[in-house]
Amino acid sequence: MAPVLELDNLRVQLGRREILKGLSCRLGVSGEGGRAIGLLGPNGAGKSTLIQTMLGFHVPLSGSAKLFGYDCHRNPKEVRARLGYMPENDSFIAEMTAVSFLRMMGELSGMPRGAALEKAHETLFHVGLGEARYRKLGTYSLGMKQMAKLAQAIIHGPDLVILDEPTNGLDPAARLRMLTLIHEIKATHKMNVLLCSHLLHDVEETCDEVLILKDGLIVHHANLEEERRSNRRFVELELAGATGGFAAALSTLGAAGVDEGEGRWRIVLPPGVEIAALWRLAAERQLQVRKLTYRRDTLEEIFLKAVGHIRATPGDATKPPPLPEPAVAEVTHGRL
Amino acid sequence: MAVYKRGYQRYEGTRTTAWERLMVLPRYSWSRLITQRLVIAVLMMSAFWPLLCAIFIYIANHGELLAGFGQGFQRFLAVDGNFFRVFMSVQSVFAIALAAMTGPGLIAPDLANNALPLYFSRPMSRWEYVLARLMVLGGMLSAVTWIPGLLIYGMQVGMAGSDWFSKYWNLGLAVFVGFLMLVLLTSLVALASSAWVKWRVVAGALVLGFFFVLAGAAQMMNAIFRDKAGSLLNPIYLLERLWMSMMGIDSPSESEPGLVQCVFALLGLCGLMLLVLERKLRPVEVVK
Repeated sequence: MAPVLELDNLRVQLGRREILKGLSCRLGVSGEGGRAIGLLGPNGAGKSTLIQTMLGFHVPLSGSAKLFGYDCHRNPKEVRARLGYMPENDSFIAEMTAVSFLRMMGELSGMPRGAALEKAHETLFHVGLGEARYRKLGTYSLGMKQMAKLAQAIIHGPDLVILDEPTNGLDPAARLRMLTLIHEIKATHKMNVLLCSHLLHDVEETCDEVLILKDGLIVHHANLEEERRSNRRFVELELAGATGGFAAALSTLGAAGVDEGEGRWRIVLPPGVEIAALWRLAAERQLQVRKLTYRRDTLEEIFLKAVGHIRATPGDATKPPPLPEPAVAEVTHGRL
Repeated sequence: MAVYKRGYQRYEGTRTTAWERLMVLPRYSWSRLITQRLVIAVLMMSAFWPLLCAIFIYIANHGELLAGFGQGFQRFLAVDGNFFRVFMSVQSVFAIALAAMTGPGLIAPDLANNALPLYFSRPMSRWEYVLARLMVLGGMLSAVTWIPGLLIYGMQVGMAGSDWFSKYWNLGLAVFVGFLMLVLLTSLVALASSAWVKWRVVAGALVLGFFFVLAGAAQMMNAIFRDKAGSLLNPIYLLERLWMSMMGIDSPSESEPGLVQCVFALLGLCGLMLLVLERKLRPVEVVK
């Protein structure tokens, strides 16, 4: 199955400036649907240009961008029929009611009239605008407009939803609602999501993969799921009780542990062994777990490392430079 | 089940054809336009002249009603090329007024609301968008131009019989093609104005200015250079020359531009309008 997005030496020039300088990558390779890809980068990195090229708004200087195997420049209609786009800026028809607007957008995407009307109501209720659906869009608040933009992007059930800064200008409650909706779009409705945001936390919460651009180049492509999984292998444990023989017990799991004294252990779990195994091990040996933490390479660290603001992830033994305090997330008993 | 209870489900039903998608924008625009009182008023007013012409044709074809009048009056009632030229000239004023009223509301709001990325991120190209908008105006203007024109012509053929038809068969074609050219030019001017400026009132004024100010400017040029070449800038003159030529009543003076020049000038104006649309209708603005 074709990946969601495939870039092959994509170069895009606007005026005399080359914005995208030979991007190559394959994103959303699993092909199962329901993948969320984050697009990150500092201002001027080329994120918007990449999105606009995917939409067929810019002609590549060389190379290609393919969505679901269709070339964005050569087969724009096939591509656009499969995607929904939520632009960053205000983008709607102020004089239309939300229902008429969504219905029209649905019909333009190829839905029959009756189905478009039905889906317009359904989608507006879904994004929380059910009670305001007969109001003109020009009278909506900023948060409502963001929701209306999301609604028009998903009304026709596209294979890929491109969201450009979806949480811009939202208050905390509305932002949470937006993130929940994005999560539902990918997890429940199995649509792929391409999320472009400056808010790293939003990307971290919703995305499975992340592509970081800088100066028109890809500086990092991370599979966040794998990063999270691998980070959970590095554990710091604080035990109370007789810990003699605990190292040997660890070796039965295939894990390596170093006793740092006063019940503190640093452990590296082998792939496939979850943290729950440590809890079981401690319970079997009547040891009290006072503290259990694992390293979490936050997206912020990945991002800063990728764009060159820090040289390596703190606590990453494979990379030499400065080792400030590792960023850790405490895993409490309740959360486990 | 009530919609609010049902919850969102991803749409996986049938998709419409490209033609049905193309007709979406005209449908929505027409349904909006016919709710505007001013548009309805102009549409109704534009029906008066064809109605008068129909009465004229009825009287002209009923000799018994004219028994008491002299030969001069009966000659005045002749339905020929001149009759249809006057009919078209009057109706074209209504067509331009209607285009000035309805055209600016077609593209300017999309530009002002930054809605173009939403249209162009769907399976719709820029030229399909222009075609859809042209169809909106084309449909509206047809109602006041070639449709009543052909009805009048058909009425005359029906009343005057085959002799009249064999003599004036070209008038029907001239009415149809001449009005189509008017509709095309007027629609393109209205769309280009709408794309050029985001304010509707100014865009409407531009449409009127294109036809009437250019006509004045052409007259001034003719007066200054003591020539008729300036008339090539006058769209109304160009259209009338085309109509009269097709009706067989064109008798230009030697200093006036030829028909071919007029046709090329008209096509040039249409091309200019398309160029404006091409430059202005972009999904994103690129700062170079």
